[in-house]
Amino acid sequence: MTRQVVGSLIAAAVIVIVTIVVVTARLGTTSTAELELREDALKERTELQEERLDQQREQREKRQEQREGRDSGGPG
Amino acid sequence: MGDLVETITRGNVVEVKVILASVALALAVYQLVLIAVGYGKVRPPFLASRAASFAHRAVGDVIAVLLVVVAIACISYFEVEDDHAAHVAAAVALLAVLALKILVVRRWHRLSALLPYLGLGVFVLLALTWATSAGDILASR
Repeated sequence: MTRQVVGSLIAAAVIVIVTIVVVTARLGTTSTAELELREDALKERTELQEERLDQQREQREKRQEQREGRDSGGPG
Repeated sequence: MGDLVETITRGNVVEVKVILASVALALAVYQLVLIAVGYGKVRPPFLASRAASFAHRAVGDVIAVLLVVVAIACISYFEVEDDHAAHVAAAVALLAVLALKILVVRRWHRLSALLPYLGLGVFVLLALTWATSAGDILASR
């Protein structure tokens, strides 16, 4: 009798473990720490892109100004 | 209370709730098997009905604790919204039927003929409560 009860409870423990493994695998890596890391990386990438775009815009404007300066300072 | 739940789960309240509710449902399916052996509907050679009934009671206690923990986490962390009316109704009915079943098992022995129906009611309501919350979340991932 005792052995059968213990066996039934061990079976219950196995069910618990299998359920935790299956559900965790289904949920995926969604720990808050992991999500924050992902968010930070995305934010950093976006900032870098914006910075690069700003630099390109500034360079373009500078070149345009130089070109206009040359055109207006010419003969005639 | 909401802060405590968030601290214990390290911010993963939904995930922990889904796992605990799924464990409760899996154990509830096992409970059906155990009580079928307990009532002599199924007679496996490796498990006597008395042992199955004893295990059924022990696993039932674990499920009751799990459900209370999930309910506390749910009530303290999430707000009651109209979108989840079915979930709230099923969960309230589940806790009520579970409480009645525990009372019949421990005190109101005269009503013990109702136990199979109460047990089935607990299982159906648990499945419904799970499906309207954890099941939805798992399906969307």
